[in-house]
Amino acid sequence: MAVSGFEGFEKRLELHFFSDDPSIFQLGLRMIDFESIQQVLEAVQCTVVSAVGNSYFDAYVLSESSLFVYPTKIIIKTCGTTQLLKSIHPMIHFAHLLGLTLCSCRYTRGSFIFPKAQPFPHTSFKDEVAYLEDTIPSNLCYRKGSIMPSKSSSHCWHVFTANDGSHSRSHSHMPYDNDIFTMEICMTELDPILARKFFRRADDGKTGDSAGKEMTELTGINEINPQALICDFAFDPCGYSMNGMDGDWYSTIHVTPEEGFSYASFECVGSINDDIVHVLRKVVQIFRPGTMSISTTWNEVCNNEVWKQMASAVEPLGLKCRSCAMDQFPAAGDVVFQTFTARRKSA
Amino acid sequence: MASEEGQVISCHTVEAWTQQLEKGNQNKKLIVVDFTASWCGPCRFIAPLLAELARTYTNATFLKVDVDELKTVAQDWAVEAMPTFVIIKEGTIVDRVVGAKKDELQQAIAKHAATASA
Repeated sequence: MAVSGFEGFEKRLELHFFSDDPSIFQLGLRMIDFESIQQVLEAVQCTVVSAVGNSYFDAYVLSESSLFVYPTKIIIKTCGTTQLLKSIHPMIHFAHLLGLTLCSCRYTRGSFIFPKAQPFPHTSFKDEVAYLEDTIPSNLCYRKGSIMPSKSSSHCWHVFTANDGSHSRSHSHMPYDNDIFTMEICMTELDPILARKFFRRADDGKTGDSAGKEMTELTGINEINPQALICDFAFDPCGYSMNGMDGDWYSTIHVTPEEGFSYASFECVGSINDDIVHVLRKVVQIFRPGTMSISTTWNEVCNNEVWKQMASAVEPLGLKCRSCAMDQFPAAGDVVFQTFTARRKSA
Repeated sequence: MASEEGQVISCHTVEAWTQQLEKGNQNKKLIVVDFTASWCGPCRFIAPLLAELARTYTNATFLKVDVDELKTVAQDWAVEAMPTFVIIKEGTIVDRVVGAKKDELQQAIAKHAATASA
């Protein structure tokens, strides 16, 4: 293990807003001007490298991961030593100018590879929760912070939710659907040969956009959801990010391929009606990780069958389920955290 | 005409759009079309660059189509994500850039502008 390297593990923040004026919902947060978005990202310490929108949402590839802007929802995911929680204050401010009020906040992350390199408030989960408690308005009164364990002390899932208990669902632009979940996958110890594909060739004469497109095709990332429109970017000398858009559903992948601290993440919105087995197997085949965690967030009560299905999807590919933890969050659904390790490394 | 040089020209009607296309094709000028939407954040992100490119490549015609305003045009050109840039030379689509991809757009315009003036 390297003494210090790039922190692949992302911090993820999801904020939901509401308004008493339904006409605001149609465009909502998408009306925030770009200078304001830049200010939010400056607070976090990252920038936009590429972006695309469809009729449902805007997707930005950032210098450190991704940003998704829906009319009443924003998802920011940032890696490295970014200060993600510092985006909450400016976001609440700019949303307020549009007549939108915060009604739900969810913060999640895995366990950092280099925790000592993190700046405040990301110095510890305790510091993060204290910062969140201070920053979030008092109307979000249903709150809970939880560290979900695995068998290995170095792999935990950190979750903090805050909710006003009333607006988050009824004012969502999407119809409330019990079958929809968000799946966050974190992978470490990537297969070194596969990880090489996320390095650029020196002087390839390509732009980050065109090199990214090449990686998407070369690695088979475009086959995870062939219907999705992909906005991809390859960093110099290595690293890759992509956002997928399929109607109002997003997916996103980020790769830090350097040996010693290699990391890849995959996140998507899924439905029990999807071919989740295909998606999971494809992701595992692209990276062949030594360790993988899947955390699944449900709107309401989780469907036991699906996370069992997830485990049985990846087990034939040599990943063994080592732990499974579940927790409930007040007015913010259930989270299931599963960890897997490759059999080849079980010795 | 001179007032349009170096500008991104907004086409607000199907007639204006057709006219601009025909004019560009007749003059054998490179045409860069920006399919955009008022509610699209990524379009606002790239707008300053497009304006700058229009000032740089004065031999090319830069057109802007709002996909809500000219719905049929957007449909005909199969625009599903914004911004979509279509580069046209003598009536033929020579390149298409989907998304606000600064380097890719710059490179595509530079490539086709070079061959157009050659």
